[in-house]
Amino acid sequence: MNGLKRRRLRGKASLISEESSLNTSVLENILAEGLTKQFNTFTAVDNISFKVEEGEVFGLLGPNGAGKTTTIRMLASLISPSEGSAFVGGYDITREPLKVREIVGVLTENPSLYERLTAYENLWFFAEAYGVSDPRERDGRIRGLLEFFDLWERRRDKVGTFSRGMKQKLAIARALVHRPPIIFLDEPTAGLDPESAKEIRDLINRLSKQEKCTILLCTHRLEDAEKLCNRVMIISRGRRIAVGTLEELAHLVGKPSLQIALRNIDQKIIDSLKALGQVREVKVDTQASRLTLSLLDESATPEIVREIVYAGGMVLSVNFVYPSLEEVYLKLVKEGSA
Amino acid sequence: MRISRVMLVFKKDWLEIKRNREVLLPIIIIPLLLSTGVPLIFMIGTMIAGEPSSSSMEDLENIVRSLPENERNEVLRMTVQQAAIYLITLYLLAPFFLIIPVMVSSVMASDSFAGEKERRTIEALLATPISDSELFLGKILVSFIPSFMVTIMSFATYSVLVDVLSFSMFNGRLLLPNLVWIMLILCLSPAMAFTSICLTVMVSAKVKGFREAQQISGLLLLPIMVLIFGQISGVIMFGPMVIGILTICFTLIDYVILRLSIRTFKREEILSKLI
Repeated sequence: MNGLKRRRLRGKASLISEESSLNTSVLENILAEGLTKQFNTFTAVDNISFKVEEGEVFGLLGPNGAGKTTTIRMLASLISPSEGSAFVGGYDITREPLKVREIVGVLTENPSLYERLTAYENLWFFAEAYGVSDPRERDGRIRGLLEFFDLWERRRDKVGTFSRGMKQKLAIARALVHRPPIIFLDEPTAGLDPESAKEIRDLINRLSKQEKCTILLCTHRLEDAEKLCNRVMIISRGRRIAVGTLEELAHLVGKPSLQIALRNIDQKIIDSLKALGQVREVKVDTQASRLTLSLLDESATPEIVREIVYAGGMVLSVNFVYPSLEEVYLKLVKEGSA
Repeated sequence: MRISRVMLVFKKDWLEIKRNREVLLPIIIIPLLLSTGVPLIFMIGTMIAGEPSSSSMEDLENIVRSLPENERNEVLRMTVQQAAIYLITLYLLAPFFLIIPVMVSSVMASDSFAGEKERRTIEALLATPISDSELFLGKILVSFIPSFMVTIMSFATYSVLVDVLSFSMFNGRLLLPNLVWIMLILCLSPAMAFTSICLTVMVSAKVKGFREAQQISGLLLLPIMVLIFGQISGVIMFGPMVIGILTICFTLIDYVILRLSIRTFKREEILSKLI
């Protein structure tokens, strides 16, 4: 299946390996066209279109109430769209909801776990519900997941006694229990300590890169989106504000600045740069011995470096600095809301 | 419809119910009271008093009048005390056993979807590939099977209690079980319970919380109360014919309500209530 020979590995790696019964690349992507959801007079999601390729981690960013969770619920065939259509893994979310649910793993906004059942019983129920009914396969899968999330020792404890972080880990384990090729994760690192959050990020990376799982990540943590997503879509008040790679989004809010570290900075260098037509602004950080330049045209970089060298500067490094995702996000959401 | 998925929902819910005192206690206490407490009070009271009070006597006379002829003649040959015990245990208390499955199941059926909504576990359940009909039927079974079992156990307990207490008074004759009671417990009671469970699960899927569902499901006891008063006043007499007709009626109602409730059950509506 599309280069997905899943090897049986032991320990943590076994979490994401083994053969999958699903077998075409067509089955592993998301296509939404004009997706709209209205609740009475309130429009939660307004005409959203996007496409997620196989193996891609696609981020859905937006403030509270932006429509992220509603979008995930529609794509998971939990609620039907008021208008528009979507295909998940090649299946129509409205006409083939059971097929969609079979191939999708969902981490819901709340952990949604049965607190009177043990960790093992929770995973047992969901494994069976998703059709993993062979006892050996099911038990092996549950053990693999619980070991990966360091919950094996607590498998007989009722979930009600778990901390928020443990519940979140178990909820992620539940989303993966049937080895879904498409995964919807709503705030996967919420409630986790930095170490656990990193483990989850590593897991998401591994699922995407090694297993070619298609992942739709809904998050408030821009750090997660920055580290994990191939592309992100920013939505606000149900509407799509922007979609693209982080670089593409950065270009939307402005050009990257050129950062040059020098051994020494003197006025002659600064004056010579200011005299160049391509340089719009020069910021000087004398402590870090660094210049940050706003350029009219990025292709002027070699001339700028040459000018510094002619002016007696000794260049240590030259980098393009893009606006951070946070800057991009805040600016786009503000513009989108205006 | 995949029966394995229906049973999976049943097993999961039953595991939860077994560990939930709020749900489990009414399942045990109500049948225990009705199958032991109520008959004990009536029987011991009658034995001590010698004969029932005048108002009770009036109720019993109503029952005697509506008995079939051979049964009426048999009662008329008994002593007043014997007749009182006989009529109370075999006729007066019979409709109360229709309450047991309805009351027992109302707690579980009210909790079925409303409880999951309150505990915020519903979304992950709805995200599984369990179909609407499998989910709905699973939720019905988890109320129906325990309530049916509890009713049978209550009836067994009641029968033993009645037979032990009346053994010497009726010269070694065992009053229970008899055909009417067996039909009542095995046919009419489950048929009526199924109707009430279907309606309660339907309500539970539509309301926001457990209490709301339980309050509405309380209304379902009204038709049973009508049967109880009908029997006391002698308007209705639970004989094989009446039980048979009522069972057929309720089975037909069950079929229609089940089809209707599965057709109208929409998981989307449940989630919309959470948004």
